Amino acid sequence: MRNGGEGRARLLLVILIVTSLFLITLDLRGVKVIDGFKQGTQTVLSPFQRAGAVVFNPIKDFFSDVTQLGRTSNQIEKLEAENAELKLQLLNRKNADGQLQQLEEILDLAGTAGYKIVNAKVISHGSSQSFSQTITIDSGSNAGIKKNMTVLSQFGLAGVVKDVYPNSALIQLASDPAFKVGARIAGSQQIGILSGQGNRSANLQLLDNSTTINVGDVLLARGSIANRPFVPGVPLGYVSRVDNSAGAIAQTATVRYYTNFSTIGVVAVVVSGPTSNPGDALVPQKPRVAPIPTVTVTVTPSPTASN
Amino acid sequence: MLTRQISVATPIFLLIFLIQEAVISQFRLPGGGFSILLIFALIWAVLSQPEVAAVIGFASGILMDLSQSAAGPFGQWTLIMLLGGYAISYIGYGDDNVHTNAIGIVFFIVVANFFVEVAYLITGALLGVSTGSFSQIIINLIGMSVWALLVSPIMLPLFTRLHALIFDSRSVI
Repeated sequence: MRNGGEGRARLLLVILIVTSLFLITLDLRGVKVIDGFKQGTQTVLSPFQRAGAVVFNPIKDFFSDVTQLGRTSNQIEKLEAENAELKLQLLNRKNADGQLQQLEEILDLAGTAGYKIVNAKVISHGSSQSFSQTITIDSGSNAGIKKNMTVLSQFGLAGVVKDVYPNSALIQLASDPAFKVGARIAGSQQIGILSGQGNRSANLQLLDNSTTINVGDVLLARGSIANRPFVPGVPLGYVSRVDNSAGAIAQTATVRYYTNFSTIGVVAVVVSGPTSNPGDALVPQKPRVAPIPTVTVTVTPSPTASN
Repeated sequence: MLTRQISVATPIFLLIFLIQEAVISQFRLPGGGFSILLIFALIWAVLSQPEVAAVIGFASGILMDLSQSAAGPFGQWTLIMLLGGYAISYIGYGDDNVHTNAIGIVFFIVVANFFVEVAYLITGALLGVSTGSFSQIIINLIGMSVWALLVSPIMLPLFTRLHALIFDSRSVI
């Protein structure tokens, strides 16, 4: 290195470190310039993300199928046997049909509760490099979406609107580690706080330690003041494990979300909440087992030749 | 020289950022997936002088902070990438075992990717960023390292050619 080169490199490094720390300080103090930069970037990126979503949706479905293979192998085997002649047709229409199905179920959910919704397609899944769980949708403030609105999937809560841009919005998924929602157990009305864990499981902390919670209990959103960020009555998930530690201050449980965040393609943003609390009306129906007829074979002895 | 190199490298980094946000982000890959921008910046840093690597790390960190999926405060990725870029370049620059050996570079990138993510977690914890359960963090760290191991060898030839094109063109001319 030439004379002074090392000193200049050190000076450069110090300047860059100070600049980084300065940026962190500005952001933590809530300076709007930083938000402007992020908004501008998202405005520029959203057309590319839209194009990417259109082009890569079929490939995305393929990857999704591959990652779900282990979990649904039985289902796949059954489908393979039943739908051999429909494979070609499904291949072409799979994406559109899947989104339509999701949309229908979202509309059913929203209609039952009386939510006014805006439908949107997912145009980007956020990278997990920052250990966050986000998606970007193709509707924004032009469609009436505002910050802190509830976002639904066809199964229940998907997340909350974190940032809004003119033609897109950033959704913080319910699986995000920073996500928290007030929950109540359907039926018993016990209340608690549900926190995301970075995957489909969430941690429920009950506020009253004297109450009990059981595996299979269904959780619904409690709702917020003026229905933002959460409208009441949205199905969240069901209790999959109860932690009964002897010295625990508050009773905790593991909850499995109804929404499968890795296959989410269409969502609905609740732009207006219900006029009255839907209560437990949105609790998902348990699947009914169709009775299988028992086949009884009666053996009738045939007349023998000796008779 | 530094100004010329940075001015040529900037559009390339913007293009990689666009690919990351418009293409790679379409897929919710198992194990946390990978960031092509992070891998690109680390490869670039390994091949560059420490001060160039610091500037490259700084620029790529700003782009990563601009990403909508960045959970921490603006500047967190900038700081980590700046220090990470400088550190791996400081360790690797001039070491022919790293530079002349593709396996060495890939190994370096995977290890650097892991430590950059760990640094992000530690600074995130200090800055109050939620990062999920311990088991999920471990799964993500291992997953990201595996992805880096898979993606780096594929990208390495292209990225090293780009690097050579920018940094060696003057001497070739």
